Amino acid sequence: MANQKIIKFEIATPERVVLKQEIISITAPTQSGEITILPDHIPLVSILKPGVVEVKLADGEIEIIAVSGGFIEVLKDKIVILADSAEKGAELDETQIIEAKKRAEEAKEKAKNEVHYDWSAVAAKLEVEMARERALHKWRKLKNINPVK
Amino acid sequence: MAKTKEISRRIKSITNTKKITRAMEMVAAAKMRKAVEAVLRTRTYANLSWETVLNLSAMSNADEAQHPLLTKRSEIKKAAIILVTSNRGMCGGYNSAIINKAKYSVKRHSEVPVEFILVGKKGSLVYSQNQIVAAEFPKSDLVKDASEVTPIVKLAISDFLTGKYDKVFVAYTDFISPAKQIPRVKQLLPIEITSEDKYLGIVGDPKVSVDKEMLKVKEEKHLQAQLGNEYIFEPNPTEVLNQIIPRLLEVQIFQALLEANASEHSARMSAMHQATEAATDMVKELTLFYNKARQAGITAEIAEISAGANALLD
Repeated sequence: MANQKIIKFEIATPERVVLKQEIISITAPTQSGEITILPDHIPLVSILKPGVVEVKLADGEIEIIAVSGGFIEVLKDKIVILADSAEKGAELDETQIIEAKKRAEEAKEKAKNEVHYDWSAVAAKLEVEMARERALHKWRKLKNINPVK
Repeated sequence: MAKTKEISRRIKSITNTKKITRAMEMVAAAKMRKAVEAVLRTRTYANLSWETVLNLSAMSNADEAQHPLLTKRSEIKKAAIILVTSNRGMCGGYNSAIINKAKYSVKRHSEVPVEFILVGKKGSLVYSQNQIVAAEFPKSDLVKDASEVTPIVKLAISDFLTGKYDKVFVAYTDFISPAKQIPRVKQLLPIEITSEDKYLGIVGDPKVSVDKEMLKVKEEKHLQAQLGNEYIFEPNPTEVLNQIIPRLLEVQIFQALLEANASEHSARMSAMHQATEAATDMVKELTLFYNKARQAGITAEIAEISAGANALLD
């Protein structure tokens, strides 16, 4: 572990830069499945779907980030994620997530009955909230703070 | 006495103007703070995505046209300029600077007909310069959501794909600092690295070299792309490019709009600040005139009275 290879990593949303650090590895949910990228990966571009990004920082710490879709670009010397939105585990607020999830579920139920409702948009919203919740659970488990349920 | 009255009326009216300009300065300052915050927040994302775009285009040059939006047309029959201006005036040379810039680029490439796509009300000034306008879009003073630019992007992409335009540019004012903004014409479609800022230069304009240096500094600070990578795409190139390119273009136009807004509000703030100062100076000067006129009036009156009294004594 002494000479662990590291690579620069940056995750940005239109609002802010969520994380900019050197990392050992990253696991991200792409459209064709979850991928883990280590340093010296071949350049790659892929589409992300809502889910949990797991990053192993250079000091061995693990960071959990919830993303709601976007792109991942792997270059020779750095990895960039351009996310539509992203939150670190520590920033996720459980009550807010549960409420948002409830709202999205309600909207989905309502959408079933209404013809003109934008079904895919609602479903996408729910998926994002579920990704957030998953990220929170994972983060809690990792940090051992009152695991949920 | 008539003279003093007139002067005091002018002083009053200038004082009122000063109040208005000062209020506008403060409003512009508040809006500028917000706009600058927004522009700085998005800048990292926009620059990272521009890097991605350039990377993709560099790669697609290597093995022929991965995507129609990356393909350079051999013959340029018609071009479009998306012109970002303000909705209101009172912002110094802000609008005329960007419109002139756009006009110069049209003139320089006079063999290619150009159509304008206007964003912001003041862009309609180009009508009076015999330019063709293809579309007009409204613009809010503080752009909050990237979805505001979606129709503009859609129009640009579809017109480019159908072959109506062979090149699309965006003309906006780049925000460097509250005291410095630079009008800029940037090529949007097709995405190419080499001709990125070809329209930027204006021959014989001494200011351009300075501007170019400023832009270069800004770009070096924010863009550190090493180009020419071979990529693999997951799941496949077409799907990834189909999703990624329109999104990235959207971010580019969104960023241009944010930069333009930040520039507009700073331009207005400094213009209004100057106006307020000019009004202060003018009031000072007029007050001096007023006092002189008043004194002269009193002196004349006393002279008249004493002359009359003297006449009575005799």
